[in-house]
Amino acid sequence: MMISRRDLVKLGLKAGVGATLLSGVPRWAQAKALGIAPEMPLPITDPWIKELALRAVEAARSAGAMYADVRLTHTRERGFSPHPTSVWDSERLSVGVRALVDGYWGFVASPIWQPDEMARVGREAVNQAKVMAMGPRRQIDLASVPVVHDEHWTMPVEIDPFEVSPFEVTDFLMGLRHFVKGFSGFKPGDNRPLAHFQVQEKAFASSEGAYYTQRVYRSLGELEIGYEGGAREVGGALDTLTPAGLGWELFTGQAIREQIRQLMEELKEDASLPLKPVEVGRYEVVCDAQTVATLADRTLGTATQLDRALGFEANASGTSYLNSPLEMLGRFEVGSPLLTLTANRSERGGAATVAWDDEGVRPDEFTLVREGTLEDFQTTRESAAWLVDSSTKANREIRSHGCAAAPSAINAPMLHTPNLRVEPGREAMDFDGAVASLEEGIAIRAMGVDMDFQGLNGLGQSKRVYEIKNGKRVAMIEGAGFLFRAPELWKGLVSLGGEDNVGRYGMGSSKGEPAQTTVHSVSAPPAVFEEFTVIDPKRKA
Amino acid sequence: MSEARILTEQDCRDIFERVKAFARGGGDTRVFISSWWQGELRWARNRVSLSSDRRDVEISVTRTLERGGRRGVTTNQLDDHSLEAAVRAAERMSKLDHSPGRGFGFEPPQQKYPMPDSAPVWSPATVGASTLERGEVARSMIAPAETAGLYSAGYLEVRAASRMVLNTEVTDPQPGDGEYTQSSYVRWTQAQCSTTVRDASGTGSGWAGLSSYDWDRVHDEAGALAERAVQKCKASRNPVALEPGRYTVILEPQAVADLMAFFVASLRRNSAESGAGPWKLTIDDALTTDPSKPFWHTKLGLKVVDERITISHDPMDPWQSIIMPRFDEPGPVTWIERGVLKNLYYPLLSTGLELGRRHSLRGAVGYRISSGDTSMEEMIRSTRRGLLVTRFSNLKLLDEDSLLTTGLTRDGLWLIENGEITKAVKNFRFTESPLFVLNNVEQIGEAVPVFRPTKEEDGELTPAIVPPIKARDFSFTSLIDAV
Repeated sequence: MMISRRDLVKLGLKAGVGATLLSGVPRWAQAKALGIAPEMPLPITDPWIKELALRAVEAARSAGAMYADVRLTHTRERGFSPHPTSVWDSERLSVGVRALVDGYWGFVASPIWQPDEMARVGREAVNQAKVMAMGPRRQIDLASVPVVHDEHWTMPVEIDPFEVSPFEVTDFLMGLRHFVKGFSGFKPGDNRPLAHFQVQEKAFASSEGAYYTQRVYRSLGELEIGYEGGAREVGGALDTLTPAGLGWELFTGQAIREQIRQLMEELKEDASLPLKPVEVGRYEVVCDAQTVATLADRTLGTATQLDRALGFEANASGTSYLNSPLEMLGRFEVGSPLLTLTANRSERGGAATVAWDDEGVRPDEFTLVREGTLEDFQTTRESAAWLVDSSTKANREIRSHGCAAAPSAINAPMLHTPNLRVEPGREAMDFDGAVASLEEGIAIRAMGVDMDFQGLNGLGQSKRVYEIKNGKRVAMIEGAGFLFRAPELWKGLVSLGGEDNVGRYGMGSSKGEPAQTTVHSVSAPPAVFEEFTVIDPKRKA
Repeated sequence: MSEARILTEQDCRDIFERVKAFARGGGDTRVFISSWWQGELRWARNRVSLSSDRRDVEISVTRTLERGGRRGVTTNQLDDHSLEAAVRAAERMSKLDHSPGRGFGFEPPQQKYPMPDSAPVWSPATVGASTLERGEVARSMIAPAETAGLYSAGYLEVRAASRMVLNTEVTDPQPGDGEYTQSSYVRWTQAQCSTTVRDASGTGSGWAGLSSYDWDRVHDEAGALAERAVQKCKASRNPVALEPGRYTVILEPQAVADLMAFFVASLRRNSAESGAGPWKLTIDDALTTDPSKPFWHTKLGLKVVDERITISHDPMDPWQSIIMPRFDEPGPVTWIERGVLKNLYYPLLSTGLELGRRHSLRGAVGYRISSGDTSMEEMIRSTRRGLLVTRFSNLKLLDEDSLLTTGLTRDGLWLIENGEITKAVKNFRFTESPLFVLNNVEQIGEAVPVFRPTKEEDGELTPAIVPPIKARDFSFTSLIDAV
């Protein structure tokens, strides 16, 4: 039974103040008004939420949408920093409807989960599309997709971070802080370690009859450590707390104190090494796993987004050096035969891991680069169809890889980077092993990378760059920068670490207008590159 | 209809009353309330790719229990149940921490602080720009590119936003108790339009854009923006590679604004006094300074850039209208006057009161750089060899003290030889400081409004009026063969 706004007013419930914006009366509030035990925000699997979703799709369809989908997201976030103690909580409901009319997309989003609002949002999405469809003809084919019927998926996490008492989290973080301070000369970064958790429940329905609900977690932490006990001040960050599709076990499920001890040993070594200025030149370079993952993400992760490659991001984040996808597929050499880059949204703990994407597609595992050659692009249902010629020739099925995503239903879904994996080499090689294998060269930890607007030319910088002589780190190089072109960088790949040396790092992908950022994981082993150009980025011409 | 897209002042007051009624256990209550609406339109490859209409609200409830911490809980739901849940959560959070003070509420007497006057920040035209109108403008901007066989991409956005902060009063307030948190209801609009035109082979790219609180101003310029992007695309095709090095540059107004981003953000007194950033007094500066100067620890009063440069803000200029901070210095503010550092941002509570002031002094959220009298044509004609720069992209600060910045040229770079534009040039990475540029100025043109919208949906207005500048010895450090 639905109750009307007037009933609520009669019951004395001040439901809201504005006319359009404030009429949101969630069911738990309605229930409370009727004297029923109040429900906390409804579980996403509640039939009432499906009713809402279907109402939006139906409104869009009866208004003339050829295709429509709706997403309802319930997003909870909780952030912590231990010093000064701080906890913040946020909870948001959003609904977004996307409608397709004559090749044009309309999208409307609102914070109100209420039947009338579903109808308004659905109708208005169609209106947005229809107004644009008055323009020149535009053709959109959506790659077909097996329709998901009433399925639910919950990301498997060991400990739901929202079930953990905030006191316990604060104590844990404070404990880490004191642990670091307990070692002479070491101190944690201001306001560190911090922790941030998100759980997002989503209901999706489409005019093709799809309906699913899913619950996805993201957790992350940050801890920088400074060391003042040596000849000079040095610092580093723990690289094992980057965003992941995990729960509280991101913190409790790994040996963080052991990792901190190891980082401290490294920092002690850093502080004991002499400082050297940059000697510009070309070197053989060892990159740690995090650096390799960052390089793969910023060069290939952005360049293989098909919307970028075809100019749909030209006015925003940019285009791609892989600018003729149809000619380049299967032919273009993006790197050495040692390089294979795969993508998925299914790996356990992956920051972009889902059961279905924002278009109801179950993402597959696919290969972007096989043995140095460009093999595929990241796609959504619309963009998959742009590759129709190439797919027909290659005798491949035209299907989306399931890369549609958005931070929440308030944002229109668009193509975002899935989890990536630089496939490891056959033989084990960790960072120290790679360093030991080099007679002369340079080693880099935790490099940050800035790419140009085509993902082609990069500038890398790190505070932890080492000179290597006879297999040993003999000095730290102050203010080193690394200049590269993506294809040459990857063609210079000499060796990759093995399966056991792979690290996984959560990274952000920001694009679009209005801009939106999502996260994904990138896994990579350490690697050795040759002919890596080292510069002093602060030196002017 | 347009009114209901964002919250009104009465809506905010009602929400505050409801929140207060849920509070248990004494202490202070603060509510931050914001709302926004955006009408958006994206296009690419000469077709509209998405037309959208979005809105959201944010209620942040902060409860400070006696001897408790100050904790905020955010929701976007306005029903009683959600608000009550937020209040309860904020109270639980407050108990997590101890605070020696009483927390919120300290307010100077309200009547002495009326909202500072400013030109309008709300444009009915922006809120009234219909989907139909936006679509027509987009199509009119696509047409010249399509006719020329080029690809147009772009973005149009109109938005309205509101914000209000309310808190309970504290009796017997003392300095240092808390912050001036309460702020009156403000609502504002922003309109923006930008377009990138590329050729089919991807060797040429041109860009143009404009933002203002007022859609009419953006709308009136749409045709000119489209034309400029097309011309720049055509003229930038098949660029040649030049050697990196130092070049005389003519920076178009947008390039100047892009380069100034870290400069204007650095105009802060606190960092200078704590010995950071470009405005701290170094030993060298001190030796050449009159020791009787009051601001011995900053460069205030010293000449820092070319004397033709003045950087100021006039809140009554509708092209510079910003949301004036409540306790801020009313009227115009000048940070750099004829090359001399005159003012730096400071907050009221810490610095302002120490200085014996009754206002804070705003930073260069909105700003204007003074005009010169040289036309672009004259700048080009008088250049023997130099580069004309459309805009910069991917800027990164390399050194906080010198403001040394690296970044890329984007969407149009040309070689000037003997007073004429001769060739399109491949993009460069530059490594240069805006301080260096403003000390090597040759000529300055007429200041015009540039593209400087805020990205965040509830972000404030950040308008800038900036002239083209010709400067010597600009450092380009490497070739970027990306278009």
